[in-house]
Amino acid sequence: MGLIDDRFDKNVFTTSMDFLFNWGRRQSLWWLQFGLACCAIEMISASMSRWDLPERWGMLFRASPRQADLMIVAGTVTKKMAPIVRTLYDQMPEPKWVISMGSCANVGGPYDTYAVVQGVDQVVPVDIYVPGCPPTPEALYYGILQLQEKIIRYDTMARKHGVDAAEEQRRADRTEVMAELRA
Amino acid sequence: MAISTGQSARDDFRDIEQSPYGKPGEVISDTAAPTGTLTVTDESVLDSGEHQMTLNMGPQHPSTHGVMRVVLKLDGEVITDCDPVIGYLHRGTEKLGEAHRYAQITPWTDRTDYVAAPLNNLGYILAVEKLCGVEAPERAQYWRVIMAELARIASHLVWLGTHALDIGALSMSLYCFREREMILDIFESFCGARLTTNMMEIGGFSRPIPDGLVEQIRNFIRLFPGRQQEYSDLLTANPIWMARTKGVGIISPEAAISYSLTGACLRGSGINYDVRKAEPYLVYDRLDFEVPLGEHGDTFDRYLVRMEEMRQALRLVEQALDHVEAMDTPMMAYESPYVIPPHKGTMTTAEDMQRHFIWTIKGFNPPVGEVWQTIEQSKGELGYYIVSDGGPMPYRFRIRTPDFVNLQVLPHMAQGALLADVVALIGTIDIVLGSVDR
Amino acid sequence: MSDGNARETHNLNQEGTVGTGPADTSAGGSPATNEDARSTDARQVEALAPELDLADWSREAYFADDLERHPAVVLLNATLPDAILDIIRFRNETTIHVRPELYREVCRTLRDDPRVAMNFLTDLTAVDMLRLRTSPRFDVVAQLYSLPNRVRLRVKAGIDDGQAVPSLVPLWNGANWMEREAYDMFGIIFDGHPNLRRMLLSDDWDEGHPLRKDYPLRGWKEFPVYNTERTVPRLRTRWTGRGV
Repeated sequence: MGLIDDRFDKNVFTTSMDFLFNWGRRQSLWWLQFGLACCAIEMISASMSRWDLPERWGMLFRASPRQADLMIVAGTVTKKMAPIVRTLYDQMPEPKWVISMGSCANVGGPYDTYAVVQGVDQVVPVDIYVPGCPPTPEALYYGILQLQEKIIRYDTMARKHGVDAAEEQRRADRTEVMAELRA
Repeated sequence: MAISTGQSARDDFRDIEQSPYGKPGEVISDTAAPTGTLTVTDESVLDSGEHQMTLNMGPQHPSTHGVMRVVLKLDGEVITDCDPVIGYLHRGTEKLGEAHRYAQITPWTDRTDYVAAPLNNLGYILAVEKLCGVEAPERAQYWRVIMAELARIASHLVWLGTHALDIGALSMSLYCFREREMILDIFESFCGARLTTNMMEIGGFSRPIPDGLVEQIRNFIRLFPGRQQEYSDLLTANPIWMARTKGVGIISPEAAISYSLTGACLRGSGINYDVRKAEPYLVYDRLDFEVPLGEHGDTFDRYLVRMEEMRQALRLVEQALDHVEAMDTPMMAYESPYVIPPHKGTMTTAEDMQRHFIWTIKGFNPPVGEVWQTIEQSKGELGYYIVSDGGPMPYRFRIRTPDFVNLQVLPHMAQGALLADVVALIGTIDIVLGSVDR
Repeated sequence: MSDGNARETHNLNQEGTVGTGPADTSAGGSPATNEDARSTDARQVEALAPELDLADWSREAYFADDLERHPAVVLLNATLPDAILDIIRFRNETTIHVRPELYREVCRTLRDDPRVAMNFLTDLTAVDMLRLRTSPRFDVVAQLYSLPNRVRLRVKAGIDDGQAVPSLVPLWNGANWMEREAYDMFGIIFDGHPNLRRMLLSDDWDEGHPLRKDYPLRGWKEFPVYNTERTVPRLRTRWTGRGV
């Protein structure tokens, strides 16, 4: 088989399936089209012509939670809305991530009142907090970059062997891959 | 464009009467049974409710412009009943206003109608100034007009983009947000914030106008009419747009008054009521502009009215800018005790420093009384009702938002309409849920 | 289900709504000023008080220093003599306090009289007067506007807790949601409202009515963490306001 000898050396490298999946996941986040308040306007601005956030990062708005894997809680979560936010989160398939955008979703923001839940992390688990009232599209960009960093670390191994072991494995994988790429 | 007060906004569009979808204003759903409609002939079946279906729309629906829920009762595709459920964004702004000092409340007014924040600031500040008897200097008033009209254009651009997006013209939203960013850049130069501006202050403006702002606004004025012509070219004579908007959601003038509609919803039905003309505030009585009126009260008329309002707003900005460019008068009514002392005086004189300290820590005590101040916001009449008991915080702080009142015409419009028209009807009212729920 | 009772007979596809209207309404008038559209109440008003023709109906009368010259006051004094309790002028705004049981009649008279023609209900809300006076506790406030005359008028009715006030929905459909909001926020009962239930807060809200002065800014109950009974203490404990 001399024909294919040495032919794919430069193109094929071995890695764990987890790394490959996570690499794919982080490059194609489909996010739930779901705006709550003022921050939703900035989220729309980020996705419109000037910043062009979804197109640039392989993202896509999905109106249905069943097709989404990122939920951006953009705005104030009121006590009336909180059960619905939880329902939407439950309807999303695993794996899923949550970005809490803006002060209101982080800690309640300026609305320290009877009607507002003081932080969406009382309702759903949050991965990334983006501060600001409202955060500019640049801040949302940065939050999504941080989330992509986090996704590549995400590991099914973490559930079985603990976070530390998963982190160790991830680092080893990554070093190996980077070394092969550089070679 | 021969639009003037009391004249129909549709006069220029007579040439499109030859469209395959019928003449303008003709009720499309009335001429023939729409395709796909389940027609129930047996009355007994209908009365038993067998063919009625209840459909829940929202609060996460992409076309409800936020978190609104609409419970629809359908007979086939025809809506028999419609019940909007709001309050998913009720944050207690009025209660917060009653627990904070007058000068502290302005940031919360940004967040009621967050696509036209300077207009909300303006209404609140005018209410406080009316209560205290303060009047801002002329130059500050012109700048307020400029910022308010730019905010009106920005708000209408959001409306146009999302409304067209709901009906199916996706590219409109891209174009509209492109121009909106230019206005937000102007806001950012002026006050430092893009969206929640917190721009207006009691007594005028305490900070100087930044260099280059006038050129920035002039650039926008030069650029925008051509861009708006693009929108008109894309939509106004577009057969799909006409089919989706003409004859849809007709509001008669009597119904418009009975439902307390304001803004383009009222003027689209032909009632001539614009607060800027009826009760001029700021310097609107010295500026030249016209109020467009609709003729048939349908969605297409409201579209034309809002498009013309954008042109008139641009005229206002241009006139105000011409006035203000040569002015070199003060921007703040510093002589009033209700106004924050000048920054320079705070740093150099003991009196101003003490006044500044007390103003900041304790606030000021306005006279006892109650005021009601309305302005023409982009969506209609925005009213602030402040009851003062003489203390540093309002005793009662009420925001009459236009879209909360306008939204209640939705069941009236939706009855007998088709299911697909609901998004057009929600879009044409031009709601922002933060303003509806407060 | 919804606001069905309040809906008037404006059908969407009704003949006559298309193409008519602006010719007679755009000139600053409104349908309510037409002779045909004037209700029988207005004719009765004119029949009852013919001497009112001598009164001053000009725009200056609305802002005259003598409050008794205000056309709305003149009209109410002639038609509903014991309705007015107090008249207040502040910053060129006139407020009329009326008896709560005559609240709807006052508004109907003001709306239907062609000379005053307060035909537009701008706003309807309430004020909790707990800290300002002992009785009555609430003021129901209606902001009326006259489209032909371009003037405003504020009509107030004072009621106690639990006392009902007549609803304005028979006069204006627009009062529907505003009264629901006032019920939601203050617990005011509107007599004759077709659909009086919670508006902004959820239907199962059991913490009372938030805009009352004895209701704390942060409410009585904290929102529990999902699936638990645990609540997260608020980060900021500083007392930010008057408390209630």
